[in-house]
Amino acid sequence: MDIETVKARAGPREFGRADDMPEEYREAATRMLQFHANSEIMGAYLEKPFIRQSPSVDRKLAFSAKVQDEIGHGQLLYRAAEALGVKTREEMLDELARGDGKFLNCFHYEMTDWAETPMIAFFVDGAAMKRQATLKQSSWTPYAHAMDKICFEEGFHVKHGEDIMRELATGSRKEQRLLQEAFDEWWPRILQFFGPTDDRSTHHDFAADVGLKTMTNDELRNQFLNAYVPKARKYGLEIPDEPRIRTDEDGEYYEVVEADLDWDEFFAIAKNEYPEGLDQIDGRATAREAVAWVRDSLTEADAGGPGATASAGGD
Amino acid sequence: MAPLRALADLDDEERAAAESLLFRLADDEFVIAERYTEWQVVAPTLESDLALSNIAQDELGHARVWFDALGELGYSERDLVWERDPGAFRHSTLVELPFAEGDWADPILRGYLYDVAEDLRLDAVAGSDVRELVDPVEKIRSEEEYHLEHAQNWLERLCDDDAGRERVQSAADRLVPHALTLWVPGPAASAIDSSGLRGESLDATRRQWLDTVASFLESLGLTVPLDPGDDPTESLPDSVGSDGNHTDHWPRLHDELTETYRELGRSDVRRLRGEGT
Repeated sequence: MDIETVKARAGPREFGRADDMPEEYREAATRMLQFHANSEIMGAYLEKPFIRQSPSVDRKLAFSAKVQDEIGHGQLLYRAAEALGVKTREEMLDELARGDGKFLNCFHYEMTDWAETPMIAFFVDGAAMKRQATLKQSSWTPYAHAMDKICFEEGFHVKHGEDIMRELATGSRKEQRLLQEAFDEWWPRILQFFGPTDDRSTHHDFAADVGLKTMTNDELRNQFLNAYVPKARKYGLEIPDEPRIRTDEDGEYYEVVEADLDWDEFFAIAKNEYPEGLDQIDGRATAREAVAWVRDSLTEADAGGPGATASAGGD
Repeated sequence: MAPLRALADLDDEERAAAESLLFRLADDEFVIAERYTEWQVVAPTLESDLALSNIAQDELGHARVWFDALGELGYSERDLVWERDPGAFRHSTLVELPFAEGDWADPILRGYLYDVAEDLRLDAVAGSDVRELVDPVEKIRSEEEYHLEHAQNWLERLCDDDAGRERVQSAADRLVPHALTLWVPGPAASAIDSSGLRGESLDATRRQWLDTVASFLESLGLTVPLDPGDDPTESLPDSVGSDGNHTDHWPRLHDELTETYRELGRSDVRRLRGEGT
């Protein structure tokens, strides 16, 4: 199939494994899927310590299940990426370990306190939901299929995050203060979740033309703000004065003042050059290297490990 | 068969015996789950990551079942986990030992030793006449079957080559003595037996455990560092755990897992409905 045909036919779930897709399409789709899968893995890495730090047995169970879900999402997305024939899963996981794999800006920051957990589990996951909902319309059918399951589970994650936030917001004064401090620190990063405004986003035009993206960064960010600023206020959080976010006369958000955000930091992160992010990449790489002997002992037919198929459908 | 009794209907001596039994069941499950979660995100493959996460959550769920039974005896989650002195935990040292980074043979072998024990323990508990002990057994056992299969498949795979078998052997040399602590009788042992809280004595269960474990491990070319005829007390590690004497690893782990609760100054725990189960 040539690019012009792809553009003419581009629509939700239009292409799949049986189609002979042009290289430019396969590379663009691989880039998106790999980024998304990497983000699931690095998000899980960031949240993992809070399984141990959960302050109740139920919460510990929920946190363990969430981290497990993210790994499962990574697995699904790498599989959807592999179907494009550009890279194998092992190649993508190795790139991530080497610091060549890219992933979401928010997962490059350290998270040390319990009060920070809703910043990821509520706001970042909530932002991710906005983007992911549109990816159900991806022209690459395996991606869209993966999103059906992922969006379903993410719905629970956001509820889990909101519940942690509610508990802190209605807790002691100290808990409320810690929650606000975490919000102040994470809010600009959350605003940058959707990247720079469209005129600075290089990959958008092609991805939109071939149906891999259906909404712009700005549209998604505004949707997110319209839904989540009221939620933040509901839990008593004060929105920092800066970065400025602007509303139109109907009170709908339409703009973030870009000059108020630290784009040097953002682009350092995008190149995997931000120190905290590097620590996380390296920490995961060391852990991966330590179990390389196990992977080496597995045969190709059984590359996930014994019983892998039986366990993959676990809850 | 006689109708089952409720925990609340036991007399004082029987209650004390039931408590002692339940604390060991609950604490072993709770602490092994806590250790298993250390492998989340860092297991050898995404598939093995998902599998071990499942097992961790199952064990934590079982801990909650036994904690709930202790709830019938008046204990809250706060008493049982968050404000309990680490020295009052009754789990065996097998479950509290940390993992060395990358030593995948350890959680697999530890899981195997534990799951075989768990299976026998549940058998014994199912033979009691107390409802809160008998009722959960069926569901727990159905999950334990998968755990055992998982551990056995992995052990077979790891023992396929010399390098892997050496790693498993070294885990066995280190862990088998700690696994024996699961069978160390506590002060309530005879009261537990005479109150009909388990169908088999600890001694009998230990012998079955060692038979099963030794024959399977030997079939994989491994050596088990003791014989069924040996006096097990001679092979025990310095601390056995269930008497409250733990290795130094336990207070550190307890400190880490209660950190948020303490730092936030929490004094209670809210149960969630349906979440994470």
